Amino acid sequence: MKVLLVGLGIAQQNLLIKFIMKLLSKIKYPLLKLIDISGFKVLDPVVRLAYKEEPQKQVRDIILYMVLPIIFILFCVLIWNWAGPNHKTKSGEVPTPAKVWEAFQDSWRFDQRENEKEEAFEMTGVDREEALIYVTGELAKLKEAAASLQVKSDDVAIEVKEQMDAKIRPVQVRLDSLKAAIKEAKAQRKAQLATYSEQLIEGQRGSDSLVALIEEHHVIADTEKVDLKVVNDELNFIRDNPPERLKDAQLAANKMADEVQHYKKRIDYLTTGNREIKVQMLEEKAAAAAAGLTAATTSEDAAKQAKGVVSNTEKAISAADQKYPRAATIFWQTWRSIATVFVGFIIAAVIAIPVGIMCGLNRVVMACLTPIISIFRPVSPVVWLLIFQIIVGAFFPDPDTHPLFMFMNSPNNPLAFLQTNPAMVFSACTVAVCALWPALVNTALGVSAIDKDHLNVAKVLRLGFWSRLFKIIIPSSLPLVFAGLRISLGVGWMVLIAAEALSSSDGLGKFVWDEYQNGSSQSFANIILACFVVGIIGFILDRFMIVLQRLVSFDDGSATA
Amino acid sequence: MSFLEIDNVNLGFGPPTSRTEVLENINLKVKENEFVAIIGFSGSGKSTLMNLLAGLQLPDKGEVRLNGEVKGAPGPDRGIMFQNYSLLPWLSVFENIELAVRSVFPKMKKAEVEGHVMNYIDMVKLTPARDRKPHELSGGMRQRASLARTLSLKPEVLLLDEPLSALDALTRSDLQDEILRIWEEDKRTVVMITNDVDEAVLMADRIITLTMGPRATLAKEFTVNMDRPRDRHTLNDHPEFMRLKSEITAFLFALNRESKAENKDEFIPMPDVQPKDFKLPSATLKFKHLNKKVISPSVGSK
Repeated sequence: MKVLLVGLGIAQQNLLIKFIMKLLSKIKYPLLKLIDISGFKVLDPVVRLAYKEEPQKQVRDIILYMVLPIIFILFCVLIWNWAGPNHKTKSGEVPTPAKVWEAFQDSWRFDQRENEKEEAFEMTGVDREEALIYVTGELAKLKEAAASLQVKSDDVAIEVKEQMDAKIRPVQVRLDSLKAAIKEAKAQRKAQLATYSEQLIEGQRGSDSLVALIEEHHVIADTEKVDLKVVNDELNFIRDNPPERLKDAQLAANKMADEVQHYKKRIDYLTTGNREIKVQMLEEKAAAAAAGLTAATTSEDAAKQAKGVVSNTEKAISAADQKYPRAATIFWQTWRSIATVFVGFIIAAVIAIPVGIMCGLNRVVMACLTPIISIFRPVSPVVWLLIFQIIVGAFFPDPDTHPLFMFMNSPNNPLAFLQTNPAMVFSACTVAVCALWPALVNTALGVSAIDKDHLNVAKVLRLGFWSRLFKIIIPSSLPLVFAGLRISLGVGWMVLIAAEALSSSDGLGKFVWDEYQNGSSQSFANIILACFVVGIIGFILDRFMIVLQRLVSFDDGSATA
Repeated sequence: MSFLEIDNVNLGFGPPTSRTEVLENINLKVKENEFVAIIGFSGSGKSTLMNLLAGLQLPDKGEVRLNGEVKGAPGPDRGIMFQNYSLLPWLSVFENIELAVRSVFPKMKKAEVEGHVMNYIDMVKLTPARDRKPHELSGGMRQRASLARTLSLKPEVLLLDEPLSALDALTRSDLQDEILRIWEEDKRTVVMITNDVDEAVLMADRIITLTMGPRATLAKEFTVNMDRPRDRHTLNDHPEFMRLKSEITAFLFALNRESKAENKDEFIPMPDVQPKDFKLPSATLKFKHLNKKVISPSVGSK
């Protein structure tokens, strides 16, 4: 700290240090409270230790609640690392943690590249030119590197091929000789069979001996096949397992070639593929057509030029609005899923809370709704999805021109970022209908379990229906309402992933399904990566709801754990 | 004419076939600005009587009149202070009182409301705690807040339903003094329910006993002829205080005996059972012996 304060006098330094100390001691309890509210109780001993409060107890707590769980997680990862490769499946072996990590890095790189391309697509003016110069320079360097890597990889390939040939040659010789021997043996057996058959016809032998001979021949042929297979396997094994360094060299060369490809694409988006340039080109065409129109001599030519003016101007306008066609990375899909789950969750909350309040207030409403809740709550989300696809789908036979989507996706609408489409509506509806019940039941419970004393207060104050509702009933039931909403969001998130997989609505569910279907070398690792992403996002959503729940609960929060 | 009147009131619970009368033939007349204490054993229907006065329960027969007007549904003219505070836990002290003031005096302007609320918060000495939530307050402070809320309604009658019975003895005497001080400053009619004879004698002008339930009714009245303000420190030497205290206590005990005698036939003799001793020999409690000895309840009974 002293180093930072060189410019100050000793007295000022001490004053400042004192001030900082005071500030630190002041934020201790707010900090602990924040940790408590956010539900990360695990960090509590760390903060207390930093303030040197009962260090021994804190260290013990840290070991118990932080170090031991981390060790256990590492242990689980180790087991996974050991067990994964031992289980061969149709889609290759179960990926190890390292492979999943690699998949994550690849996804990350893919996403970065999409960002770079999008940036390039949208660049204008001097920025674009500067970027173009920079990217061209980088590309030249990369090409050099890629060429040298390719050369290296080719060298390695030649070297490896020689080594492999050397290994294969003796085996091949053995195989050839074995084949020749077998061929000879076969010819001998055929001759033997012919002589036996003749002898049978001439009556020198019984028919049994001929049958016995054929059986004997079959046994010999089988053993020959086995012998042949052993040598063949040996050969294939050598061929299929080239040394690791060849793989590594090829991988490095491929990666660099990929990078070169990406830079070429970037240059493309900075030049002919750039939005501004496209618009400019179309405008130039329109201007040329306009010039052609004034200079036109025949009626046909005039009509053609006029058409050119209109169509090119229209194209230029639509090109100016064009967005970069982003590929769906796992991060984009995650964001889609979160958007969808919140759309569904908000629909559920908007329905569940008022209906729940009515249920809690009125016994007749409760009696009417109880059977409906009981019957529809256990229905599987998959069934709901199909029902919604049919029922809701009927509302927009032609989604492109449907007012809902036109409205939701019009550039002026603040919700346009959701990029609403029918598949998303189906998934959101499915989420809503599955997430509805916990919120509804808890709200009804919260309203009907309101403290009688509070109602007496309302009676004495002669509160009207609305002020009783908003001043007494709703605040008093809020903790339970939020407990219900928390369960709802958890249910919604689980349901959503399944719904997306089934309805091909953009999101993590679709990502998993696509990966399962396309079966590339990395798809299994991607599925496991998605599994972690789904889990972590679900965890964050739950924490988010816990914080909200704690903020609205009026006791010390002990009711919510 | 009396200010507050209960006229021949009956109240019961349950279906007509097996009806339990809680209160029967209740007649009570309270003068304006009088402090009346109603004293009785627990379970005698004291709180029901209070609910009746407040209008939270309606009588089966008879009526409750205030200023000659028959009273039904509850309202701010009969300010009730509940035994368990009944503060809204999601609102601060200030907001709790503000809600009450706003709903009872809807025409009051914002600044006026604030002045009014702060006035009553000052009166019960809660100014430093005005922005605290009820769960951050001690029991005594909560009851003070509740008192401020009730007073802020400017009720014609103040109904105190065992307001101090949930508090410890020290806080209790402190609040008794506080209520008396406020009452002396701003006289109004008070009906207090209590089960504490000392408290009743200290605070009330008149003490009315309630017989044991069911079918409870008001019994003997005692008038407290002691000068105000009464000093609790010298009270124990006051002959009138001692006399009233012993008379009331004796009367209440007599009531209790009577009701026990009445219900004698309902007495069910209990079998003479001793609790079984499940204590284990201390050796078996040590873990290292656990696998050697079988633990069973029978071990203890030997």
